[in-house]
Amino acid sequence: MGAWVYLIFGTAFGWVLSRSGAADYDFIQRMFLFESFQLYGILGTAVAVTAPGLWLLKRAGRTATGKPLRVTPKPRHPGNVLGGVLFGIGWSITGMCPGPILVNLGEGKLYAVGALAGVLVGAGAFGVLYPRLSGALRLPKLELGTGDG
Amino acid sequence: MLILHELTPLPWWLAGTAIGAITLLLLWVTNQRLGISTGFENLCALALRAPYFRRDEITRGRAWRLPFLGGLVLGGLLSAATSGGWRPFWDLGMFDASFGWGPAGKLAWMFVGGLFIGFGTRLAGGCTSGHGIFGISNLERASVESTLAFMAAGILTTNLVYRVWGAS
Repeated sequence: MGAWVYLIFGTAFGWVLSRSGAADYDFIQRMFLFESFQLYGILGTAVAVTAPGLWLLKRAGRTATGKPLRVTPKPRHPGNVLGGVLFGIGWSITGMCPGPILVNLGEGKLYAVGALAGVLVGAGAFGVLYPRLSGALRLPKLELGTGDG
Repeated sequence: MLILHELTPLPWWLAGTAIGAITLLLLWVTNQRLGISTGFENLCALALRAPYFRRDEITRGRAWRLPFLGGLVLGGLLSAATSGGWRPFWDLGMFDASFGWGPAGKLAWMFVGGLFIGFGTRLAGGCTSGHGIFGISNLERASVESTLAFMAAGILTTNLVYRVWGAS
């Protein structure tokens, strides 16, 4: 599929995040303070729409172009919860989860530059430290160079 | 009211339905599982050669994740441009009201938060999109546990920042 298809999907997603409050510092804080229902409503509706649709798509088992549908579940390990805690702290500090960092950047919010820099350093550090973390946290083995890259 | 041009946000049911529809269309049309934070590894892979950034999942995903991330920036830009014009700004709503830090302080605060997000989402194997929306919709235990963890940590942190620190 051409890159422009993904650019359009990303643009649509980014526009909705921008206009919904999901990429808004105050709406995120007010979600965590239980002062606003907006984000709970958005996430709940998104799951309520995606779950039955996904069940139907998996039952049909084919993509729009007739290829076998591929849905790989994420591996379960102790990092899910520990990493989730760290991510939650970061989401609260910045008022942005990963998608909205890029949306805020596009909107012109200059402080998002700091968040993006932090994310890249944090993700980079994780990748470099992976060999030391993977044993203790029982993280999945890296699959390297099977050739279909 | 949004910080961006003080817009009234879309109703939650409409925004949630749109996000669900985009998630399903992305899978049906392109056979890709929605997930944003893994795309940051593709950005890291442009500069870092550690084996973690050369694994198959990353090299395979680059062709769709990078344009998708670019689209998120473009979506934000178009949203601002079509609702009062695009301009760079520093406004940070409640944070300005409670702490009143200048640009350098905000950048530092955001950088620290970003470190937690970058390291945390990679350790967790996903974020709000891949775990919270797709994973929960697919009834994956790892995603349910991770989502409960990041929601709880967010609630705790924001309450500490605004009800303890910001209130003192």
